[in-house]
Amino acid sequence: MDRAAQDEALLARIGIDEISRKERALRRGRLGQGLAFMAPALLLVIGLLLAPVAANVWLSFTRWKKFAGFDEFAGFSNYQKLPSNPFFTEALVNTAIWVGASLIFPIALGLGMAIFFRNMRGAEVFKSIVFIPRVLAPTSVGVLWFYIYAPDGLLNRGLSLVTGSKVDIGWLYESTTVTPAIIATFVWQTAGLVMVLLLLGLAAIPRDPVEAALIDGAKPGQIFRHITLPLLMPTLLMVMILSVLAGFTVFDLLWVMGANYPGQRSLALAVFMYFEAFQKSNWAFGSAVAVVIGLVVLSVTWIQTILQTRVDQMVR
Amino acid sequence: MALDLATLDLDAIARKEAGRRRQPGWKLAVAVTVSLLWVVPFYYLAISIFKSDQEYALKPPLSLPKGVAPVLDNVARAWALGDMGHAMLNSALYGIVGAGLAVLFAAMAAYAIARLDIPGRGGWFMLIFAGTVFPFQMYLIPLFFGFQRLGILNSHFGMLLFYTAICVPFPTLVLRNFMSGLGREMDEAARMDGAGELTIFARIVLPNTLGPMTAVFLLQFTWIWNDMLFSTVLGNRPETRSIMNALLIFQGSYSSTGPNVILTAALVASIPSVALFFLLRRHFMEGLKVQQA
Repeated sequence: MDRAAQDEALLARIGIDEISRKERALRRGRLGQGLAFMAPALLLVIGLLLAPVAANVWLSFTRWKKFAGFDEFAGFSNYQKLPSNPFFTEALVNTAIWVGASLIFPIALGLGMAIFFRNMRGAEVFKSIVFIPRVLAPTSVGVLWFYIYAPDGLLNRGLSLVTGSKVDIGWLYESTTVTPAIIATFVWQTAGLVMVLLLLGLAAIPRDPVEAALIDGAKPGQIFRHITLPLLMPTLLMVMILSVLAGFTVFDLLWVMGANYPGQRSLALAVFMYFEAFQKSNWAFGSAVAVVIGLVVLSVTWIQTILQTRVDQMVR
Repeated sequence: MALDLATLDLDAIARKEAGRRRQPGWKLAVAVTVSLLWVVPFYYLAISIFKSDQEYALKPPLSLPKGVAPVLDNVARAWALGDMGHAMLNSALYGIVGAGLAVLFAAMAAYAIARLDIPGRGGWFMLIFAGTVFPFQMYLIPLFFGFQRLGILNSHFGMLLFYTAICVPFPTLVLRNFMSGLGREMDEAARMDGAGELTIFARIVLPNTLGPMTAVFLLQFTWIWNDMLFSTVLGNRPETRSIMNALLIFQGSYSSTGPNVILTAALVASIPSVALFFLLRRHFMEGLKVQQA
């Protein structure tokens, strides 16, 4: 008997077919059990999150008719209308400002405070103070700052006191000040979280390389640039992405604080989308704006995945 | 308890001692200045709720209130005019039931993915986790029309359904990671003794997962409590309105009530999430850590 035939006979005696059949049945059984356990989660996520996203994409290619609903396929016409809409282009510019600002200010402030407070005695109190705004609801924060920025509010009265002459700036009423003012509120609310996350990241950095560098006579600045910062990079990247996504999709603050601003819909893409759909009933057009927002968010997440792998490789 | 070697690191102790002695005064000055910038809005909020309409309008905004009595009137007016009691009950219902069910369903899914060796578990996980990828704007219009067609727009059931769904994906991630780290000896032993998967899940895995489940429950509860967008779109009726939506509407009627009353409403609306945070800070910090992982 040759080798192959011998093996064949041996396998037949063990009953390999029987085993693999049983194995398959077992796996099927486990899948059945697993599906039973996953069923509520799957049904909810598919039915109320993923299906709406798919429906939204489809709606963006239709035309809305008052009584028939969304029954007419319209190709890209909803998207083609976007660039010629002055509110859309303005919202796009403002959203770009938000993205830039949320990438710079919360990160710079949060990183600065994390490094500053890290080894400080009694820093717990200060850290808590900076973190508390994050615990308040965004709507409450918006209401609070709405009155701080009001014409006769805290900021104007404070400025009047400092400058000695009456300051009467309509912070939330003028196009030049409304976005910076709300961004300042956003920074006030989110810098504390950035700080806490970076402190967690800093705490996870091993002491050994820092000790070694200290013994070799490295200066604190050098240690930060060449050791701490590269090791903090993964956390920093994660925090930056979180911040950009938060700034890109900010809605509550703009909705509350921009309530009296005449061009409220152009404050950001998210507000423009809400306005077109739920106030002007331009449903198909609104869903096209939502798709644009979704595409940007997906590309940011995609860039994050790429950068994350790169940074991980660098650190290793 | 195991001996923690880090606490015996004498060098570190010496270094800390040295650091303590060297702390310069300018550091404290900077810290105080920065904190002041953060504190002033809070201070303004804290004193405004103690002012009557007249006092708020006439006195400088940062002056101390004359007394604490007006706060009762402010709360009473905010409570009545903003219909806050009703809205708070709604939000409590959405937060407790929605986040509770979501965490339970997430734990079940995580059990299947992390401990049942089902085929294609990476794919099943990605399917559930995909619910965190898209911006909220992509859900709004289809949900609005879908709920309208099903007759559950502006109903407690519809709100609960949505809040439960949106709170499932993130806890699934956290609990899956946690459950894959748990040892399997107990499961195997129970399985040998003929226990079903439901028994193993409920009697062995769940009790060991209560810590992370509490952490994600708190995060999700706070998210639901603070949500204004979905409550405005899916439940904008007095009977189903959430607290943040009620606050928004109350503020919109600004002309009839003074800022002191509306600021009081804003503070009262945030009390539950702030109180929860301070009571259960450890769990929140745990939640932040898992959010980062």
